[in-house]
Amino acid sequence: MIGIVVASHGKLADEMVATASQIVGPLAATTTCSVQPGISADQLRADLKAAVATVETGDGVLVLADLFGGSPCTQSLNLCGSLNLEVLSGVNLPILLKANSLRSQMPLAQLAKTLAEYGQRNITVASELLKAEQQRPLH
Amino acid sequence: MIVLTRVDNRLIHGQVIEAWLPHLAVGRILVADDEAAHNALMQAAMRMAVPAGVKVDITPVDKADFKGAAADGVRTLVLLREVKSVAQARERGLPATPLNLGNVHAGAGRKAVTRAVFLSDEEVRDLKQLQDGGMPVSFQAVPLEKPLGLEATGA
Repeated sequence: MIGIVVASHGKLADEMVATASQIVGPLAATTTCSVQPGISADQLRADLKAAVATVETGDGVLVLADLFGGSPCTQSLNLCGSLNLEVLSGVNLPILLKANSLRSQMPLAQLAKTLAEYGQRNITVASELLKAEQQRPLH
Repeated sequence: MIVLTRVDNRLIHGQVIEAWLPHLAVGRILVADDEAAHNALMQAAMRMAVPAGVKVDITPVDKADFKGAAADGVRTLVLLREVKSVAQARERGLPATPLNLGNVHAGAGRKAVTRAVFLSDEEVRDLKQLQDGGMPVSFQAVPLEKPLGLEATGA
């Protein structure tokens, strides 16, 4: 099973995983890694490496990072040379939920790409959709 | 023109890109760091994080062209990983700019000055010397945070 590490500043990763678990139940082979002030780049890389190791079962690991260019994303990228990783940055809740269900269906690289597209499609102006829906003739 | 020298153990990352770059309106980041300069993967990861339109130079501390960056018209942010690199950079021609800290990690022998900056006694002495040499020191992780001066170290 492809492992998942949600990596973020502050408590975002922990809370996102907790929230996803509330919705679909506990997530297998999923862990988090957080960067707090006072931590060095080296220590963060070591923490990420350890997190990846806990969920790696031979199919690779998908790191879902909060912010492109942020330390969780950048330090994960620094591990790409030595570990079987893909890094998706800009993770949102729809991506995490979908990652959990899609990961048994495709290899790592395809999973990352699919989730990136899925995540973007799932950012909608719901109030606009509502207006459109309300204007449809009754069906 | 070098507008700010920042000491940040994580070099190019979220706070620098999202908060400092727009605040300072820089067109160039000069990263003077031996580790980054010799690690192609690290460089690639850092470069891609920076928005298009901002130039990124990554060189070892003793090869950085501080004088060139100071002399041309491009607003430049200098990034150094550690306090001890600042004195080295000054010897290489880094002008006396404001000195911002940044992120300095916790560790043995280091005392917390702010949430993000942990300094050894030697580093506090170095900073005092740098300030006496014309670089006003401020502890400020992001521009909207209230900056603290050297008095925050108790020195």
